[in-house]
Amino acid sequence: MKIPISWLKDYVNVPRDLSVLTDKLTMAGHLLDKTEEGNGGAVIDLELRGNRADCYSILGVAKEVAALFKTAVKYPSLHPKLKRVSLLKECQNTIKTPLVKRVMMIVLKDVKITDSPNWIKQRLIAYGIPPINNIVDLTNYVMVELGEPMHAFDLDQIGPKIEIRLAKNGEKMTTFLGQTITLTSDDLVWANSKSPLSIAGAIGEKYHSISEKTNNILVEAANYDRANIRRSIRRHNLMTDAGIRHEKDLDPNLVEEAIRRFLQIIKENNWGKIENCVFDYYPSPVKPWIVRLDYAKLESLGGLKVDKKVAEKILHRLNFVIKEESNSGIKVLCPTYRTDVTLEEDLIEEILRVYGYDKIPPKTLSLEIPTIITPDYINQEAKIRDALVGLGFDEAISFPFIKEKNWRYNQLLDNQPGQSVNITNPPSPDIEKMRMTLLPNLLDFAQRVINERGQRLMFFEIGKVYYKKKNKYYEKRKLGLIYWEKDKQNFLQFKGLLESLLTKINLEGIHLKEADNIPFLTNQYQLYQNKNVVGQGGQFNNIFYAEIDLNSILGKEKKPVAHLWPKFPPIIEDLSLELPPQTLIGEVLQSIKSVSPVIWSVELIDTFKDTKTVRITYQNPRKTLADKEVKEIRNKIIEAIEKQFRAQLKA
Amino acid sequence: MDINVIQNLKNQAISGILQAKTPDELERLRINYIGRKGEISSLMKELPGLPEEERQQIGRFLNDAKKAIEESIARQQQTISNRPTERQWLDVTQSGRTGKIGHFHPTSIVINEMFEIFKHLGFSVMEGPEIETDEFNFEKLNLPKDHPARSLQDALYIKEPEIVLRTHTSSVEARVLSELKAPFRIVVAGKCYRYENVNASNNAMFYQFQGVALQKGLSMADLKGTLSYFAKSFFGKNRQVRFRCKYYPEVEPGGGLDLDCPFCHQKGCSVCKDRGWIEMLGCGMIHPNILKEFSYNPKEISGYAFGMGLDRLVMDRFGINDIRSLYNGDITYENSH
Repeated sequence: MKIPISWLKDYVNVPRDLSVLTDKLTMAGHLLDKTEEGNGGAVIDLELRGNRADCYSILGVAKEVAALFKTAVKYPSLHPKLKRVSLLKECQNTIKTPLVKRVMMIVLKDVKITDSPNWIKQRLIAYGIPPINNIVDLTNYVMVELGEPMHAFDLDQIGPKIEIRLAKNGEKMTTFLGQTITLTSDDLVWANSKSPLSIAGAIGEKYHSISEKTNNILVEAANYDRANIRRSIRRHNLMTDAGIRHEKDLDPNLVEEAIRRFLQIIKENNWGKIENCVFDYYPSPVKPWIVRLDYAKLESLGGLKVDKKVAEKILHRLNFVIKEESNSGIKVLCPTYRTDVTLEEDLIEEILRVYGYDKIPPKTLSLEIPTIITPDYINQEAKIRDALVGLGFDEAISFPFIKEKNWRYNQLLDNQPGQSVNITNPPSPDIEKMRMTLLPNLLDFAQRVINERGQRLMFFEIGKVYYKKKNKYYEKRKLGLIYWEKDKQNFLQFKGLLESLLTKINLEGIHLKEADNIPFLTNQYQLYQNKNVVGQGGQFNNIFYAEIDLNSILGKEKKPVAHLWPKFPPIIEDLSLELPPQTLIGEVLQSIKSVSPVIWSVELIDTFKDTKTVRITYQNPRKTLADKEVKEIRNKIIEAIEKQFRAQLKA
Repeated sequence: MDINVIQNLKNQAISGILQAKTPDELERLRINYIGRKGEISSLMKELPGLPEEERQQIGRFLNDAKKAIEESIARQQQTISNRPTERQWLDVTQSGRTGKIGHFHPTSIVINEMFEIFKHLGFSVMEGPEIETDEFNFEKLNLPKDHPARSLQDALYIKEPEIVLRTHTSSVEARVLSELKAPFRIVVAGKCYRYENVNASNNAMFYQFQGVALQKGLSMADLKGTLSYFAKSFFGKNRQVRFRCKYYPEVEPGGGLDLDCPFCHQKGCSVCKDRGWIEMLGCGMIHPNILKEFSYNPKEISGYAFGMGLDRLVMDRFGINDIRSLYNGDITYENSH
């Protein structure tokens, strides 16, 4: 909110150096946005706190300044109190909803509608409201000065009977700015027998506002259920000066101050005849309330000791009244404008912010350090990230939505049933469907590299995919790996990288099985760990992709073991096998390996048509192998693969 | 004849040979010591005049010395001829042949650095769901429906009004308060979502970093100490921090941590709007309403929470001007080996 300093000075002494003022306000919770030099002098723009409805006013800020600089507030003069009545003879108001907490109305007759005097105009301009005429300007002036929005109607236009009620669905109203609004049954309106006169707390209607022809006026100030006002101003985008105040917790007692201030200025300027009674609807008057403060709590929560006397003085300067005092604490009466203070913790903040947050001592090791409870999956992701970067992969993070052009690729790669999670209020079609696979975004990233003179790309992303099943929402952690190399289409290169990753993270027993369930991938396979599917992969044009479900492999890693050179020599031999066409060599190797624990390793070292040469290393860690033992194992191997694969040993 | 003279002569010859760098030098040394008129040869010529016993002993010595010198020369000839000739020079300024180098995403780098700092202070790392209920994203965090502070966080809805994409990592605060047992200290870094018209400084998805601690006896002093330690460790020990009062519905008392503006050194510039300070994070003691919400008694236990946006820090660190570039594939590592 903009605070013209010359206006602020009406109510409080201000330090000559403005930065002293704004620094202190900032430290105490009212952040300085910027200082501007206007026609009428300096204006400070403060980012006010959303819970301090009382500060959305020059006087409210003045009270803060007075408390912070230990000086007094000079309050503006108010009109003497008038007799309160529950019925005005000129205009009868029926309040039809408990959403109204308080309403005051007064009638002014023979009103002189003129331009406002310069001092009002200048102040409103400095604050940011354009002047219109003396009456409208005065409602605005009092609102900025005290924080209570007000509204004036042309009494002769609205008629003798009005009401405050919820609007009817579809009811229409044109604002004084010319915008036509279609109301809902959740909008609170002032209305006469024919139509709405204003949206309560937000904006007035066009034909009943003050004009040059106005003679008699009805002025109102009110207090409403703030949640209702907030819904209305958001629904109809009416962030007016009145609206931003009414959506906060305003003090209903401020209504009366505003009316009296308004009348005072009317009287001083002789702008109209004030009727001698005021309508007041105030079914549950708000009185100051008690909050208890325990000094021990002040110290334990604040982390420093504030002298009791100092604490009490601070509260006193903030207009809290000390009602009871004991060794352990105090009972404090809160002024009704401090709607934000209801708890002990609120009082503690009041004391600390005036005492100074800068006086709190920084501590780091005052308490015992709790046990580390980082879940395994977080460490898993960190390890995989490290391993992949070590292997030469670049990490990608993509927007977790699927662009409209890629919607056809948005499916769960494991073919489980599930629908995409959709945003009901998407800012654009590209931010509407959440990803069910990391593939489309990584493909886009890859395409970018291919287009931009890249030679080779290796990307990975660790992130979630999202889907819906039977009205439940799921998030699954995935690892996506993508690989492409210019002029080379080498599956074995990619598979080698995948195997290197698995070795680095100590994951064993992963094997690939051909699959064909994803419509846009060729050369598809599923990744198995033992009998469980843990991922999918395949080829998109000449780009290789694999996606691993991180939860499926979580906790499946082997513990790392250090291996020593064996003490006894191995026996190494090569066997050439004649296999039927399209025999899966991975299964053959696996089968050979499982024949005996003495078989240390089995590798494919040469392929010629259907003849595969495998190198077998026999190694017994406890003794030197005899030729006889190896011969027995060899015979078992030959027997096994003959039976399983119809393989023949070549001489 | 003195045996020591022969020994010295031998040593002298061998050390000369070892230092020789060219075949010419070696040849000179050979002539000098074992050539026909060389020093060893001259001594040999004196042998016939010596008494029988002495002659045999000295003779053996001289022969050994001659043999050792010959061997040294042969070895050194080998060494010299093995040196690369000038024609085989190596250009050490050529580019090396590397394999592909992998890189972490800038956001990951920053998150990791932060995690490391907080781990020193006994924090564990946590995460939580991104698809959240209104209850955990707002209600349980002292942000009831129609609370004014909700306007700052327009949500992307999955199902209006009860299922949202989390608008902040505070939702994880609600999750840990409901699931973990005190005492704990946790940090979270994760994706958050808001209804935004996407431009260079706003994105519908962004990262937040959040910390929560719950432990009997925690105070504003612990909060301030933790955040100062973090700020000095992350931004540099010479940076200035300012701890001030600030309002957030989730905390009471509430605070904010500002960092001195590095662009103008607090003289005032457009980056800091002439404030000299840059807002870094929001923090405070967990609001008693929230503690009660999770069945903790605010009189017996206290906690603190803090949160900050991450993307701006990443952008500053890596010189990126457009927030969209972080997550749309704009980043390349092609030139950053």
